[in-house]
This record gives sequence, C-alpha cells and structure tokens, in this order.
Amino acid sequence: MRIITRSFERKCRQGVKSVGCTVGSLLFAMQLVGCVTQTDPAELLLLTPESAQNRAMQIRLFETENQVELLSASAAVLQDLGFQIEESVLEVGFLRATKERSAREYGQDIGRFFMFILSLGKYYMPVDLHQKIAATLVVRPIKESQTRREVRIMFYRVVWKGEGHSDNQTIPPGEQKMEMIRDPVLYQQFFAKLSKAVFLEGFTI
Amino acid sequence: MSIVSTLRIPATTIKGISLALGLNLTLLLHGCPMPYEWRHEGQWNSQDQIWLSEQSQVKLRAAQSRVFDTTDRRRTLEGIVATLQDLGFIIEVVDEDLGLISGKKFVPLEGRNFGTDHSYHLYNDQRLLIFTKAYRSWGPFLHRSDLVRLTVSVRQRNETQLVVRASAQFYLRAIEDPVPYQQFFRALEQALFLEAQRVP
Amino acid sequence: MTDPRRWGVVVIAGVLALHGCTTPQPKPDLLAPTEAQMKIRSMQTREFDVKDRSEAMRAVIAALQDLGFIIERANEPLGLVTAERFAEPNYFDVLGITVTVRQETPDRMMIRANAIYNNLPIEDPKVYQNFFATLQRSLFITKE
Repeated sequence: MRIITRSFERKCRQGVKSVGCTVGSLLFAMQLVGCVTQTDPAELLLLTPESAQNRAMQIRLFETENQVELLSASAAVLQDLGFQIEESVLEVGFLRATKERSAREYGQDIGRFFMFILSLGKYYMPVDLHQKIAATLVVRPIKESQTRREVRIMFYRVVWKGEGHSDNQTIPPGEQKMEMIRDPVLYQQFFAKLSKAVFLEGFTI
Repeated sequence: MSIVSTLRIPATTIKGISLALGLNLTLLLHGCPMPYEWRHEGQWNSQDQIWLSEQSQVKLRAAQSRVFDTTDRRRTLEGIVATLQDLGFIIEVVDEDLGLISGKKFVPLEGRNFGTDHSYHLYNDQRLLIFTKAYRSWGPFLHRSDLVRLTVSVRQRNETQLVVRASAQFYLRAIEDPVPYQQFFRALEQALFLEAQRVP
Repeated sequence: MTDPRRWGVVVIAGVLALHGCTTPQPKPDLLAPTEAQMKIRSMQTREFDVKDRSEAMRAVIAALQDLGFIIERANEPLGLVTAERFAEPNYFDVLGITVTVRQETPDRMMIRANAIYNNLPIEDPKVYQNFFATLQRSLFITKE
C-alpha cells in the first residue's frame, strides 16, 4: 500500500492532475498522516529512550534457578493462547512461537465498499487478509544473582493484504506490514499467567 | 404489503426504492470480499487475535489435554513423534528437556484451479519476516490456509502422571472441536499401549 | 527491404540484441577478500573477556532485543545469532544482523557482527561501534 502511496504522491507531484490522482490522495490520506521518514542507518543500532521503556514492559524477573521449568511453563502459556512452537533452543533459553489467523476487519470492508462506490467501481481496495502473530521468548540467568532468572517476551505481528484492482489493473496480493506489539496490558496479562503457572511472583526490573 | 397499503406510498416510490435497493445489492456484492476472503473470519480489530479470552482458553485446554499414567517422558515423546509421523506431519521441533514437539502438514484446500503455484515453494515460512517489497503474488497467501500446525507438549502432572496437550491450527483458526483431538489421543494410546484420561 | 531506414532499424536491433546476450563474467577476485572487506572485518569484530560462550550468546541476544530486533535464529553449537527488524518508523527498509560468537582463548570471546541494510552490507564503522557499546552494557553492566 505504501509503495502505491509513494507512486501516487510522485504522480501528483509531477502535476498529473486527474480524478484518479485526487481519489488516490484521498484513499491514502490515512497512510500519509504517518508520513514516511527516512531513518539514517547509522542511528539504527543506537538505544533510544523507548528501548528502556520496552525493556521494562517485556521483562519480568522470577526467583527460581530452574530455567527448564520457566521455559516449559512459558511454552504452556503460549500453547494456552493458541500459539504453535516453531523453534526451541534450550542452550540459550530461546523459544519462538507463532499463530496464523485471519486479519479481516469489518472497518476495512466498509471502507472498501465506499471507495468502490466513490470511484465508480474503478478502485477495489486490497484489505488485510492474513496475519502471523509471533512471540519470541528468552529466559536468561541474571549475572549478579544466582537465584533469579529474567524472562523476556516480545510480541509482534505481520499482516498481509489480499488482492484488489484499480482501473482494470490488478493490484497483486501479498503486501506486507509489520507491527511490534507495544500494548503494556498484553504483556501484563502474559506475565500474570506465567506467574500462576510457575507458582511464583514475577517482578519488574 | 399491509404496511405499504396503510402508509399509502405511491407505486413509483416503491419502484424507486426497490431499484435503489437492487443497485445497492449489486454494488455490495461487487465491493464485497471474494469467496476466498469470505472464508476468513471478520472482526473489528485484528489485534484482538493476539490474546484469547479466558473462557476459550479453558475450553480449549479441556479438549486438548489428556493424563497418562506414566512418568516415562522419553517413551511418551517417542510415541508422540511416531503418531505425528503416522499422521503425515513434518516434524520441526523436538525438545526433549522441555517436552515439546511441533510439526506441520499441508492439506490442500485452496488454489487447486490454478494448477501448481511455483512461487509457493520459494516461500520460506520459517522466516519471521517475509520481505516482498516489489514482488507480490498469491504465492504464500492463497495457500496459508492449507497449513495445519500441531504442537504437542508433555508436562509432569504429579509423581505418577504426565499431561499431554495437543493444540492444532487449521484454516487460520485454533481447532476447538474436541473430536479431532479424541482421534489424535486414540492413535497416541495405541502407540503407547496406555489408556489416557481426561483432565479432571 | 530496399528502404535504407528499415535496414538501419534492423542493424540497431541486432546490435542491441547482441548487447543483451553477453552475460557478466565473474571477476577473478569475486570470492577473494578485498582490502575494503578486511577493513570492515576489523570494525565488525571485537574481543571480550568472557569465559562462557553461552553467556556471551545470551548477552548478544539481550543486546539485540534491547535494540528492537526480532531474534530469528539462535544456534548454540555454532555460536550464531541472526536477527531482523524494520528500520522503524520506516517500514520499507529492513535491517538484518548476523552475530557470531567464537571462543578465542579460554577466557576471551571473539564476537563479530555483520549488519545488512536492504541486502547491502553496512560499512559505516559508527553502526558497529553503537552495537558493541550496547553489547558491552548487556555483558558487563549489572542491572538495577
């Protein structure tokens, strides 16, 4: 979608003023709000203020020496939530689990319907169709304390769109969007369930 | 009919309304999801899929878990691997220490009318991020609903029992129907020569 | 075919076609390290006073997670970690990183990072400095 947005922008800038252009701008107005800024690669490996915040959200400490139990309980909690285990590397305490679900949203269906009418049947907007929700989990001993382990989990999802068409041209499916899940409530819920499963209170860093 | 007669709406208006309705319906059908899209369940916010409500968690757990009167994890795991192989699953994860086994299998449900889709085989589903910046196709997408995934975990219940839990994903959903699990556990019972009990 | 212009078109088309036919030949040094690569390698590599390899790997994973990476693979026997992320807030560009951990001497660990930005290796030394600074913290600075 954003690639198309770009080309629309370009076309508009080039002065190709047409109905299509106006409609196009309208269509992607929502996307344009979050205008794409180029990131300097040199800054990509720098810690940002959000890093510390995310860290605190994603990590809980548990008073246990039993890494296997923590991992096994985490896997059980993830299984409870419908996740499928994709990879497990016990030596570094790493687990990866995913679930694939439908991503169809009514709002988008309605939006597409109105766009279809407004564009007089010329534009059939691709909508979100499929998503892969993933969690990576790492259990790590804490250096200065032999009896504690930290559990860090990160949730994120990748969403793919289906196909559409615009002016008899098919828009191929498969456009992808990724999203890190930064909703603290979700992380709290996960750790609450994990605490219950290991009969231990998890505490924040 | 009675409403029309009591309200005394002129016939032309009714004709107009029905025409508008008909037009709307056609447009609706056009602007609506294709059959393949229809088969994806809709929701207001797709982020809701990340979590699962407590009720469905409890329901799922009951359907998916069985207790075995054994403490031999190794043998149980071997039995599970054998059962998965019998069922035609490709095993991807076996972790003996964590008691985890996970596999996948493809049940062709979609896209048969187009013949073989070669791009599908180029798609590496083990990668978390699939970067298709310019190239797009139905490749993985028309087939993702074909993917069946199954994760089986073995955990100690008490000194004499193990809990085996099997959870499966089919057509972009978690299988909630207890029957497929019953069949799985029957096959596992035969592989282990043990009777399984429901979790009380 | 008497029209000379037609012949011109044919000749031009032929020349163009021939041009398109030559495949680029691999240079003899395709698989040989160049000087520039050697320079990058020294930027990408750092040694740390750590005895335990799995501890070093866990620190690498933690550092990458702090930087917002998604861990894709972690292979303990090979000492290999691969991770990926989008160049947020921009979701077009992709940043991948492969980190290898090797036991140099019994109490020193050699850690090498290869960062790739949209399939091209990053050659900016600052990027690697930043990464190793984060790793340093993850390895040695005690939390809380």
